[in-house]
Amino acid sequence: MTEVAVPPAAVRVALTGRRGGGSTIDRARRRLFVPFVGPAFILYSILFVVPALYAVWISFNKWAGAGPMDFVGFGNYVRLFSDKLFLRSFGNTLLLLFVVGLAIFVIAFALTLVLRDMAGKKIARSVIFFPHLVNAMIFGVLAGFIFNPGGLVNTLLAAFGVTDPPPWLSQDNLFPLIMVMMTWITTGYFTTILMAGVDRIPPYYYEDCALAGANAFQRLRYVILPLTWDVFGTCAVLWTISSVKIFEIIWIFGGSSGAGMPPTQTWTTAVYTYVTAFSGESVPAYGAASASAVLSLALVSVLVLLLRRVMKREAIEF
Amino acid sequence: MAKIRKLSALALISAVALSAAGCASGTGGESSDSGEFTYWAMWKEGEAQQKVVARAIADFEKETGIEVNVQWQGRDNLKKTVPTLNTNKVPDLVDGSFAKTAPVLAETGQAKPLTEAYAIDVDGAKVSSLIPDAYLKDDVLTMEGEDAPWMLPYSLTRDAVWFNKATHPELVENPPRTWDDFLATMEEMKTAGETPIAIDGDVAGYNAYWYTSAMVGLAGPGSLREMAADKTGKAWNEPEALEAAQMIEDLVKGDYFINGYNASKWPAQQQSWADNKAVMLFNGTWIPTETGPYAADGFEYSSFPFPSLGDSARADFVGFAVPARAKNAENAQRFAAFFLNKKYQDALGSDAKIIPIRADAAVSEEMSTVKEALDAADSYYMQNDGISFPGYTEKLLWPALSDLVLGKADAKTFVETMKTGQIDYWKQNS
Repeated sequence: MTEVAVPPAAVRVALTGRRGGGSTIDRARRRLFVPFVGPAFILYSILFVVPALYAVWISFNKWAGAGPMDFVGFGNYVRLFSDKLFLRSFGNTLLLLFVVGLAIFVIAFALTLVLRDMAGKKIARSVIFFPHLVNAMIFGVLAGFIFNPGGLVNTLLAAFGVTDPPPWLSQDNLFPLIMVMMTWITTGYFTTILMAGVDRIPPYYYEDCALAGANAFQRLRYVILPLTWDVFGTCAVLWTISSVKIFEIIWIFGGSSGAGMPPTQTWTTAVYTYVTAFSGESVPAYGAASASAVLSLALVSVLVLLLRRVMKREAIEF
Repeated sequence: MAKIRKLSALALISAVALSAAGCASGTGGESSDSGEFTYWAMWKEGEAQQKVVARAIADFEKETGIEVNVQWQGRDNLKKTVPTLNTNKVPDLVDGSFAKTAPVLAETGQAKPLTEAYAIDVDGAKVSSLIPDAYLKDDVLTMEGEDAPWMLPYSLTRDAVWFNKATHPELVENPPRTWDDFLATMEEMKTAGETPIAIDGDVAGYNAYWYTSAMVGLAGPGSLREMAADKTGKAWNEPEALEAAQMIEDLVKGDYFINGYNASKWPAQQQSWADNKAVMLFNGTWIPTETGPYAADGFEYSSFPFPSLGDSARADFVGFAVPARAKNAENAQRFAAFFLNKKYQDALGSDAKIIPIRADAAVSEEMSTVKEALDAADSYYMQNDGISFPGYTEKLLWPALSDLVLGKADAKTFVETMKTGQIDYWKQNS
């Protein structure tokens, strides 16, 4: 059985148009612009842009989620920056973004280089990717089994004669633990993407390197890095966006599996936003929560723009 | 290859179609006719309480012909209700604890006064007479300017110091009544090689019980709330504020808490307690139900009230509320009242092992001591002493109290943290 690809009408028009000359294709494009872009644009506006703008509006108000809204201008933002807890949460978000991000990229890149010529690299790649498939919450629950005072780690340590193990899950140790866990979960994902980029490099470049007598570092510097640079850029943007949204692992990991909320030492802006809006046992502050969410969005936007600027290179075609 | 691809595409499309169909059926059946109402329950299917409510719903439907569209949402039901409060999709009836319901419904003026529900006759008596007067006396359940309560409580929760009476019968005979008694009792336990108290230190709310109770014992119900409301922070200079903190410091310094309580994950420590690795657990009335499945053989639950609490008792209502915009409010109120039938109140006490609101309802063996203490008290207070200022407990009080209980701050530092923290808090929130 063979598949016959039937080009959709638009493509056919475009194809025939190309034969007829530039003006026809332009006209066809213009005619199809609205029907093709329109639905996506409308859906995107209704489901994303409008709610986002509404959140910005809420952030200028004091509002309990129901009842009257009081306009307070930039009050919520001023408040956030004088709130030590918000600043700490913001700091934690930046720690995740930069420290964990750096760790992930260094490890992922190292793994990519090792895995490139390894036998059985497909299996190895799946194994590394596996933690990313598992819901982060499972790791949160698992942490209890592993690190509780009577848990797996301490039982193992006791067998080696360690009678006074560190308090793994104490409030101050939780965040570093979360950072390690995040690195472990996410590395496989980025390794997979980077490897796809590295695999794309045609083998004759390596042959050329071998002929020219380049060492491993030179091969990395002059072949692998330049040819995978755009993949790196994309990965950096992906990580920036996802790291600012990290929530559930902290909620489950730091807090408890059902009773309460994580200690403030582990809060990120996402957790701060959630607690402010849905604290559960006090009047919700939707205005302040929206302000915190809008700031996170602003942070992501600025960082993504900066990253794209920094990572921008002439695209190399090969 | 092509065949496999086609098959998987087909499977994917069917999955998408199925989920779309699933969504569609979920939103159907909307109508504003008065033969029904929607109820978002705080109980999940399978819970003992849920079974009692489900039985009541079945009887109610049979008796009145009113259809109950119940959704067993679980404890997040109120979080899900908040976004609907401004829409036409608001549920007609919700339930929850006072601490969770009051901030989102009552304090924002989004709860309906339950005038009809309180006027209905149940078992030959008006609903208003079934709720013990002591609970309603300070109008805690009534919004300002309204003449009927916005909540119809059907059960109570409270805290108590739980222990296994099979291994510690002496605590039944002679429970510690003063703080010094309590400390002496724990010293004896330590000498006997026992761990006095189990506590899951990662749950800030549980850590807060200790200070709230100590404070209420010293200065009476409402004192902590009053202190929290002071914008100058000076209220924290009161000697009771420090004294209560020192009581908690006593516990930490005396090394009475179970090993590793500052680095464990709930429910590790309450599991240890149920396994007889510690003698006491200061926690809520849900403890027998919650720890029952993993309790050691022969474990017999009993409790005594927090020592030095005086004549006060914590009483947190769990009950029904009707959002202001509910379309079928009348039906919802009829059901709320119907649920106060003695039949279901007894079932809540004996099957679900919680404390029913009606004084004449049955209580289980485990709850008998709690019920006695409740009946003996002459003033009542709520969880966190009723504080519901936005974010105050979560962002200020609980973290500071956790530091105190976990031994990271001493009593003086705690009071200082609260004082400066509170000044900042009110600067930002007024």
